[in-house]
Amino acid sequence: MMGTTRLLELLGRAFVGLMLAFLYLPIFIMALMSFNASPFYQLPMDWTTSWYEALARNSGLIDATWNSLRIAVLTTVIATILGTAASLALRRYVFPGKRLLRALLFPPIAIPWLITGTAMLIFFFGVGIGRGLHAIVLGHVALALPYVIVVVSARLETFAPEYEEAARSLGATQWQVTTRVTLPWIAPGVVAGALFAFAVSFDQFVVSYFLSTPGEATLPVEIYAAIRKGFTPEINAVSTIIMTVSMGSMLLAARFFRFGGEK
Amino acid sequence: MNKPKRIATITASFLTAGLLAGAVQAADLHVLNWKGYGTDETWAVEAFEKASGHNVIHDYFNSEQEMLTKLRTNPGTYDVVMINAAFTGQALSEGLIQPVDVSKIPNVADVALEMAESPMLNADGKTYGVPWVWGLTAIAVNENAFSQLPTSIQVMWDEKHKGKVVLRDDALEAVQFGAIATGQNINDIKDLGAVRAKLASLMPQVRAFWGSENEWNQMVASGQLDVGTYWSGSASRAKTNFKLPVAFVIPEEGVVGWLDGLSIPTGAKNVEGAAAFINYMIDPGFYVEWDTKVGAPVSANSKAVAALPETAFNRTVLGDPKVAARIQFQAPVSDADREKYLALWQELKVEVK
Amino acid sequence: MPQTDVSQRASTGPRSQWRPALPLLLPAYLWLTVAIFLPLSAMAFFSFMTELPLSGKPWAFTLANYAAFFEKSFYAVLLRDSLRLALEVTLWCALLGFPCAYVLAKILKGRSREAIFLLVILPFWSNGLVRVFSWAIALRGNGLLDRTLNAILPFQVNVDLMFSYPAIVIGLVHSYLPYMVLTCYLTLQAIDDSLIEAARSLGASRFTVLRRLIIPLSLPGLVAGSVLIFVPVVGSFMEPRILGGRAGTFYGTVIEDQFVAVFNWPLGAALSFILLAVVLIILGAASPILKRAA
Repeated sequence: MMGTTRLLELLGRAFVGLMLAFLYLPIFIMALMSFNASPFYQLPMDWTTSWYEALARNSGLIDATWNSLRIAVLTTVIATILGTAASLALRRYVFPGKRLLRALLFPPIAIPWLITGTAMLIFFFGVGIGRGLHAIVLGHVALALPYVIVVVSARLETFAPEYEEAARSLGATQWQVTTRVTLPWIAPGVVAGALFAFAVSFDQFVVSYFLSTPGEATLPVEIYAAIRKGFTPEINAVSTIIMTVSMGSMLLAARFFRFGGEK
Repeated sequence: MNKPKRIATITASFLTAGLLAGAVQAADLHVLNWKGYGTDETWAVEAFEKASGHNVIHDYFNSEQEMLTKLRTNPGTYDVVMINAAFTGQALSEGLIQPVDVSKIPNVADVALEMAESPMLNADGKTYGVPWVWGLTAIAVNENAFSQLPTSIQVMWDEKHKGKVVLRDDALEAVQFGAIATGQNINDIKDLGAVRAKLASLMPQVRAFWGSENEWNQMVASGQLDVGTYWSGSASRAKTNFKLPVAFVIPEEGVVGWLDGLSIPTGAKNVEGAAAFINYMIDPGFYVEWDTKVGAPVSANSKAVAALPETAFNRTVLGDPKVAARIQFQAPVSDADREKYLALWQELKVEVK
Repeated sequence: MPQTDVSQRASTGPRSQWRPALPLLLPAYLWLTVAIFLPLSAMAFFSFMTELPLSGKPWAFTLANYAAFFEKSFYAVLLRDSLRLALEVTLWCALLGFPCAYVLAKILKGRSREAIFLLVILPFWSNGLVRVFSWAIALRGNGLLDRTLNAILPFQVNVDLMFSYPAIVIGLVHSYLPYMVLTCYLTLQAIDDSLIEAARSLGASRFTVLRRLIIPLSLPGLVAGSVLIFVPVVGSFMEPRILGGRAGTFYGTVIEDQFVAVFNWPLGAALSFILLAVVLIILGAASPILKRAA
């Protein structure tokens, strides 16, 4: 009996290892090719660090990366706060029109970003919001919100409203109930929602592409604009640096914070 | 809930304000073009900025439709825009571009007359687009797959190369290619049914539909491609700068020629800078450096082409009168025709799926 | 068991709780209205027009753009293909993602769990286009996969998955797998271990525990993940175009064409809204079935 459990656990760990290998295969290739001299990713490898040197001189690409980071952080903060609040309301309260509010989360996910981006460009132009970083943040938060709400709601589904009621009956205020009871329980959902929001913003090219002003591009915009001519391994190089830095900071975060919902 | 939200809102607005701080400078010159298409070469921009004092800022588009949309929704943002001559008329009819004062652009004097006076770029005696570069859309081959270079477009249909043929994923280009293969005028396709049938018989040969120059080069580099449609400038760049085994073929049946012009959008804030930039772009000095360093299409400026090294592809091959006789230059295409071609192309792609 | 349905409380609580809900909902939905709903309404408006007012041409109202979907048979064929693709990708993600999330939530403990949790999301932060091109390098003939396998295996194999339907599925599963792992993790982690132990000690087989306890309790996560994958994949165009080659024409790519190759936004918008309607109908039809299963 114990033996089977052990074996299954071992198999489970091996499976996760396999999944990680699958997830990291293209990342590994991306990193590998940033050290390949051939701009067409020709094999066998011809090792070089010249793409990193080229990147260091490419201020446009570096500025774009910083822009992307700033926008993504801002988007993550706003979308996570607004999205979590909305999820709480959708779970906690009973009111007419709730089904409609839930259904309204799907158009931004279902309609291809190209169409949403075009629609934003036209609308923002029409009402005078215009282009620029403010417009990009406006668009990114809106695109990230449905993801945050869906993810946080999935976690909230596992939360018993009785807990809140129990706390309330013990004299806790609504604010205390939310911060001491509900939020700790849904913390993993909020963290996941934030990570999604960051990913949506950081990888979002269509909306940024339409809404950025000339000379203030984001990284995905630089990449997308290069698609006709094709991009050089400089893009691989900058992506590799971003991956390495994020991996380092994430593992550091895992070392110091607990957000996996450990009891 | 109220307090932390207010703090968050305040923080957010502070951050947004910080993000918006980059202000616009007076001598900025905004250029709209494809990325990596001459105007944004770092050395060129630096040289121009040093000589003229203008600060060049680029924005890019990924399709002509997008370029027009950017012009429509950003009046007054751009000072120079690169427009394919077949689209200049449309931009003019929508009031998106203004007449160019060619007296401010001395290099125009050296542009071949048939281009400078092209009805696609001129209206009511005014110039709306300055011819910049031209090139060909034909086929290119992987030299490793051929002992002797093909001379006919029919090589695309050759069973031997089945599964190693590529076409650009572009309805207009595909249909015009089909028109040449069926011996028709690309600007006046009488028998679209024949074009459709000819392309339908080509589809089973095709491995992929390419979208970017880099994709095409990657396929050659990894030996997946024998022959495919390609642009002359890209083929010369692949051969001379990337040392790939690529040869550009100008088939006896004919080739498609295109002309790219530079225009000044309506409401441009820096018209003087725009004229200086356009002049620099058709200058022999810039062009020779562009073609030798990077690889370029053919300059509209005859003196610029004449200044190229004698062995340059753009001088030897494209300067050949026998080649010139085979070129059919692209004329404007109506929206109705574009939509018809797109429907045809989509149907073909679904059938072969 | 923390699975009380909110609707049960409706009978006991006040009939409508709009007042306390409003301050929590308003910021998010106001934001969505300005940045998404109003722009999309404009698009919906365009979809009933003959020409865009933007181009300065005269325009009129028409249903022709919606009729076009039914006039040309290939739109329906492509929509069917796209739905099938989305279903397959979702299934693969569920098959691979759910066990992965289970191990993460129930077997791994402590720091390693948090670290792996983050490692699963990280690939998601890389650029989509860069990932797709990386897959191209791996999958093509004489590519990385081909070379590696031939270096390891004693016999000659020929791996060339590039420009095929499987290549599209691989690329998409890779892009969307983290959604499934995360959403499943969130609900699996919430299941009390003692519940599983109790069921086991009462003699339930592992399979029964999985079928009767774990899957029903983690269903909200499974559903959320499936929705977040299925819905965007139906309209995807980048992965099919780059990885699919001749097999890469889908509903999303023909919509893209209407915006990129021609200036026919009305038709492109109409096709998008048909897509949205079909997706909503499918989700609507699936929700009672899922409710019953739960």
